Amino acid sequence: MKKIICLLVFSLNLALFAQEKLPNTTLKTLSGLNTTLSEIAVNNDLIVVSLWATWCVPCKNELDAVADVYDDWVSETGVKYYAVSIDDSRTAKRVKPMINGKGWEFEILLDENSDLKRAFGVSTVPYTIIIKSGEIVYKHTGYTPGFEDELYDKIVAFKN
Amino acid sequence: MNKHILTILVFLISLTIHSQRAEEKSSFNKIKERLNISLESNSQWYLNDDEFEDFDEKERLRANSYLRMDYQISNRFSSGFQLESYVPEPLLNYSRLFDKEFGLGTFYLNYKTEKLDITLGHYYVQFGSGLILRAWEDRALGFNNAIRGGKVVYDPTNYLRLTALYGKHRKGFDVSNSNIFGFETQFDIANAFELESLNSFQLGISYVGKQEDYNNELTNSQATIEIPELVNSFGVQLDLEYKNTYTNIEYIYKSDDVRLNNVIPNIISFSEKALFDGNAITWNIGYSKKGFGIGSTFRRLENMRFFSERSALNLNKNPTSQLSVNYLPALTKQHDYTLANIYLYQIQPGLVIENYEFPLVKSGEIGESIDVFYKIKKGSLFGGKYGTKISLNWSYWANLTSTYSDPSGIPYFVGDDLTYETELFNFDDKLYSEINAEIRKKWTPKLKSIFTYINLNYNKGFLESKGADSFVNAWIGIAEGTYKFQGGKSVRLELQHLSTNDDSRNWAGGTIEYFFNSKFGLYLNDSYNYEESKITENTKIHFFNLGGSFTKGSTRVGINYGRQRGGLLCVGGVCRPVSKNTGVTLNFVATF
Repeated sequence: MKKIICLLVFSLNLALFAQEKLPNTTLKTLSGLNTTLSEIAVNNDLIVVSLWATWCVPCKNELDAVADVYDDWVSETGVKYYAVSIDDSRTAKRVKPMINGKGWEFEILLDENSDLKRAFGVSTVPYTIIIKSGEIVYKHTGYTPGFEDELYDKIVAFKN
Repeated sequence: MNKHILTILVFLISLTIHSQRAEEKSSFNKIKERLNISLESNSQWYLNDDEFEDFDEKERLRANSYLRMDYQISNRFSSGFQLESYVPEPLLNYSRLFDKEFGLGTFYLNYKTEKLDITLGHYYVQFGSGLILRAWEDRALGFNNAIRGGKVVYDPTNYLRLTALYGKHRKGFDVSNSNIFGFETQFDIANAFELESLNSFQLGISYVGKQEDYNNELTNSQATIEIPELVNSFGVQLDLEYKNTYTNIEYIYKSDDVRLNNVIPNIISFSEKALFDGNAITWNIGYSKKGFGIGSTFRRLENMRFFSERSALNLNKNPTSQLSVNYLPALTKQHDYTLANIYLYQIQPGLVIENYEFPLVKSGEIGESIDVFYKIKKGSLFGGKYGTKISLNWSYWANLTSTYSDPSGIPYFVGDDLTYETELFNFDDKLYSEINAEIRKKWTPKLKSIFTYINLNYNKGFLESKGADSFVNAWIGIAEGTYKFQGGKSVRLELQHLSTNDDSRNWAGGTIEYFFNSKFGLYLNDSYNYEESKITENTKIHFFNLGGSFTKGSTRVGINYGRQRGGLLCVGGVCRPVSKNTGVTLNFVATF
C-alpha cells in the first residue's frame, strides 16, 4: 500500500504539466500504407485525433455528431479530423464499409495492435486530442452529448 | 529486495524532478516534454449479498493498478517501463499469474531511425491480422503476452519491410519456458512496380516458430512417436484494393504437435500416440462508396490453438488464455448492450476432444459474417432532415464436420491413438447464427435515437460443453434515446428486452443516465430475468449498477455499486469468465 502511495505522489508531481511531443508510432491508412502522426502534423498545422472503435457506442456517437458539423468546422478553422480506429482483426474489416456507409468524411487511420493507444497511455476510447504545430495541446477522455461543441470552442481557441 | 529498490528508485526520480523544478524550470519542462506517463487503477470491494452465497475469499478489497512511463531520450532512443500492482490480490477471476503486490511488468529500450527500428526488452507485435502472431495487452481481461527479447524492423526501400524477432512470452511477472522466433516480409507490390491503377496491392509472408522441450514426466506412458520440440507456422497474405472494392486473403499452416488429453479435464496430460497439424484461411471482400458499404468475411480454422507452453492448452487451468501465440477472435458482431451479451458466441478454433459415450471432436470452426452500412439521404421520405443510418449484420458459424477413428477408445474414454479427418466445406453442424439491424436517427438537433434488433440462435449444448445439441432461439430489441439540454446537460434512456422460450427465458433491462455537464454524470441500469424457468440461478434477481463518473481532460474517475451476473466478460473477441459478485468498484485513469 505504501508503494502505491509513492506511485501516486510521484505521478501527481507531474500532473500539472501536459506532455507535448508526438509519438512516432506507425499507423496504417485504409489502403494499408504506413504513416505516423508526426508526418501528418508536418503538413497540417491544426489537427484533431480521435481514437475510436467500431464496437464502441459513445465513439460512434461522437463521430456522428462531428460528421454533422464537419463541413462548417473545416471551412471556419481549416482543422483536419483524424479518426484512428483501434479495432483489432476481429472488427478491423468493418471499418471501411462502416465509414463509407455512414458517410463520414474525415480521415481514417488504423491502429490494429493498439500501438498508438499504448503510446498515449489511453485506457478507454473515445480519446480525443488536439495537435497544434506538431505538439499536443489538449487531451480529453470519453464522450458526453454536446462535447463536440466544447471541442469546437477549443479548436477555435487554438487556431488563433 | 527488488521491491525496495523500485520504491527507492521511484522516490529518487521524483526528487530529482522536484529539485530540477525548483532550480531550473526550463530543463524540467524539457524532461516533461519527453515524458509520457499514464496511470490506471481498478479496485473493487466485494460485499456479501443476500441473493448469493457469501463472499468466502479472504481478501475483500482488491486493486489492479498500472503505471506506465515512456521517455524519449534523444531523437533516436526511447525507453519505458510499466509497473503493476495487485494489492493484496488481483481482482476476482484475473489470472493468478499476476501474484505480486508490486512489480515491474514490462520494460524496453528502443532505437528508431527512418529505416531501422530496434527494440530490446518487452515488445508488442502483430503479423498480418494476428492470426499467426499477436502480442498485446488488455487490462480489462487481465491479459498480457508481451514478448521479452529483441525485435528488428528494417525498411530497405519504401516498398519493403522486414521484421525479425526472438523472445519469450511474458508469463505473469516471469517469462515462459520456451522460445519464440518470428520473421515477416511485407512487400508493397503496387508501389514497387508502380501499378497506379490499384489503390493497393500487398503481399505478406511470415513465419513463427516455438521451441519448447517436451516434458513427459506428466504422463506415465512412454511416447511411441517423437514429439516435436519445434512447432512452426507459416503464413501468406495478399491485400488488393481497386477503386471502391477491396479483398484480402490469408492462409496459415501450423505444423504437427500433440493434442491435449481431455479425459480428466483438470489434469494436464497429452495424447502421445498421434500428432495433429492445423491451418486457417480467411477471406474478406468488400465494396464501399459514400453512403453505402458492404463487407464480407469468411474464415475456416482447424486446430489453430497455439500457445508458447503446451500446458496452457488446458483452459480450465488457463481461463484467460495467457501465453497465446496467435490471436483468434470470434467474428460475430460485438455488442455494447448488457442483454446482447448473454448468449455470446465463443470461438472454436480446435482441437478439443470431449469424452461422452462417443467422442465429441471439436476440431475447428467454419463460418461467414456480412455487414451492410447504408445512409438514407437527408430530405428523402425515410431520411428526414438529418438522414438515417442503417447497419445490418449477419453471421453463421458451424463446427467442422469430421469423422474419427478411435481404435483403442471405449465409451467415455477416448484412446490416445484417435485420429480424425475433416471436410473442407461443410456448414451443417451449426453452432451459432445471428442477424441484427441498427437504425440511428437524429430527430432534432437535440434528440437522437438508436434502435437495435438482434435475432440469434445459440447452440448452448455444444458451446457450453454439455454434450448434446440444445439451441437457444432468442430475439432482443433495444431502444435508446438521448436528449441534449443547454450547457452540456443531457439525459439518455435505454430500454432492452430479450425474448426466448428457451434456457432462462425472458429478460428486461434498462439504463438511465444523466450528465449534469460534460464532466460529471450519473447512471442506473438494471437487468432482470422475470420469468420462471428451469434455470433458476438468475431468476428474479436484479442485476443492477448505480454509479457516476467525473472527467476532466484526460483524467477520469468512476465509481459503481452493483451486482454482476456470472458469465463471460468479452473484450475484443477474447473472453474471460467472471463469477457473480456484488460490490463497489472504483476506476481511475489519468495521462500526464
